[in-house]
Amino acid sequence: MAPRILFVEDDRQMRHLLALSLRQEGYDVDEAETGEAALERFSQKGAEVVLVDLRLPGIDGFEVTRTLRRTHDVPIIMVTACDDSHDVVAGLEAGADDYVVKPVVAKELSARIRAVLRRLSVTALPSTVLRFGDVELHREAGTVYRDGKDVPLTRTEFKLLCELAAKPGWVLTRAQLLELVWDYDFFGDERLVDTHIGRLRAKIEDDPTNPTLIVTVRGLGYKLAP
Amino acid sequence: MVLAFALGAALVSGALALITYTVARHELLAQRTSSSLRQTYVNARLVKQELGAPSAHLADVLSSLQGTGGTESFIYRHGLWYGTSVSSSGSSLPAALVRSVRTGHVAEQRVLRAGQSAVVVGVPLPAIGIDYFEVHPLGELQGTIDLLAAVLGIAAAITTVGGALAGLWVSRRLVRPLTEVAQVATEVAGGSLDRRLPADPDLDPLVSAFNHMVAALQDRIERDTRFTSDVSHELRSPLTTIRASVELLDTYRDRLPAGGQRAVAALGVEVDRFSTMVQDLLEISRLDAGAADLRLTDVPLDQLVRHVAAASAGDLPLVVSPDAQGVVVRGDKRRLQRVFANLLDNAEIHAGGAVLVSLDRTGPWAVIGVEDAGPGVEAGERHRLFERFYRGAASGRRGSTTGTGLGLALVAEHVAAHGGTVRIEDPEHGGARFVVSLPVQEG
Repeated sequence: MAPRILFVEDDRQMRHLLALSLRQEGYDVDEAETGEAALERFSQKGAEVVLVDLRLPGIDGFEVTRTLRRTHDVPIIMVTACDDSHDVVAGLEAGADDYVVKPVVAKELSARIRAVLRRLSVTALPSTVLRFGDVELHREAGTVYRDGKDVPLTRTEFKLLCELAAKPGWVLTRAQLLELVWDYDFFGDERLVDTHIGRLRAKIEDDPTNPTLIVTVRGLGYKLAP
Repeated sequence: MVLAFALGAALVSGALALITYTVARHELLAQRTSSSLRQTYVNARLVKQELGAPSAHLADVLSSLQGTGGTESFIYRHGLWYGTSVSSSGSSLPAALVRSVRTGHVAEQRVLRAGQSAVVVGVPLPAIGIDYFEVHPLGELQGTIDLLAAVLGIAAAITTVGGALAGLWVSRRLVRPLTEVAQVATEVAGGSLDRRLPADPDLDPLVSAFNHMVAALQDRIERDTRFTSDVSHELRSPLTTIRASVELLDTYRDRLPAGGQRAVAALGVEVDRFSTMVQDLLEISRLDAGAADLRLTDVPLDQLVRHVAAASAGDLPLVVSPDAQGVVVRGDKRRLQRVFANLLDNAEIHAGGAVLVSLDRTGPWAVIGVEDAGPGVEAGERHRLFERFYRGAASGRRGSTTGTGLGLALVAEHVAAHGGTVRIEDPEHGGARFVVSLPVQEG
């Protein structure tokens, strides 16, 4: 079954062409011209990956992301014209998993889509259930519980947590995490790691500003407290 | 400032005090001297009268002369001294004065007798063959003069202190606000455009002019930044469509006739080049507007160079000196990647490709060299190569093998933004070596 992509972009010509190329790559592409149409479409048919341009008439890409995140953990990739911190960090904090910068070609989009779909598989963990603090991580089920309650995590957040949990007490550098979780090489964007750690902390820490589970190691990276 | 005021006050009050003292002293002494002179004349006449009488006795005459205020009288007659004082004799009078009087002149002199100031007056009385001398002590007067000196000195000291305080006050009211202006101006120049000066009653015109200027500057920079980002967005969208279109066309290439295939191939290359040029221009204009936001992280330079070399031309020899292993610079990874990628591209376009990349460490600098075996760069051309759109010997030849003209300009801008330098050297074997030096991040 070809993975379904929901592609939200208001520039019709660009959208058509990129969708065509993506279909050639083997994806089933649903197109939406506005944020509202996208949300409508998603609630009707769903998708496996959402590609959303940040600048849309009506509700913008940030709003679409936030709305989707309230109820779904579908992978979201932002398409932005500018990679300055303001847009990228805001988009990541709104819930996106990754981003690409225009002008973008279908090959690049395809690579990012594949990377995010691959995040289904996790690295080898010592056991299928891992416990730390008041958190329970069920590897195969892909779920996380905190105090017995289900914590909704995006695929990327889950993968990030698994990588940290696979090596409790070990420091993983941002470069390593970029490679393990996002499939980026040396030139990956470290903001991806930092914002996702922030999101994880907001979901599983008692006090996200004083984290005890996911600890920052100054100058090196992050680790799961042993 | 305080010192200047204190010094000025000291000088003026000191001069005043000195002048007052000198004049007063002079006047007082002169008055006293002339009154002593008169007194002596009067007494001399008296002596003349009395001694003129046949039954006069010197000692009686002298004793009748007991002057006021400790005045001593002396008479010199026939080589002998007679005086009213028991403690001193006429021989203690200054010799020069005595000689002068004895030769028939009236003389006066200020002397120090037993630690006390005094005026000595001498009047010759040749008619009766004697010289008459009087010594008038100036003790009291001296005391008055000393008191005057003390008062004036204290007044000068007080004035000096007052001057210092005035200087302090002035410096508080004027200099500190001016220092504050300088401080805020420096902050604004450094990029904090939202700084303003608080209102100050003394400097109101300066403050309002300054704030107005900074507001205008901030406005202009914000507009430039917004323009740059609007342009950026406006250009990227059509570019995306064009590239997507070309990419799609490329997949149908086999179905096109020869001419069509050539066209698609050429289109692909030119669109790529155009896209790179647009992005380079946007980057440069961001740097110009000061709106480029450098994302600084600790970058292991050897890894970065290795990655860039691997991505461009497969088996490019990379030589890393031992003390450059693991060297880290504080920089923007993507931009540093651009720097080295551009250097490699430049070597590719103009010199048949780089032949060696080296990484060294000299003191606080990490030094990266990109060498080629091409025609080299003449000394005169070297700094021009980094100019925007300068193509050197290749200008005039526009084709798909020439670059955008911005590659090296970006190298120069990015390296400068990282606090480093870039230059061109002449390796012994010919060709050119581009050398980038970046400050090493310690710790």
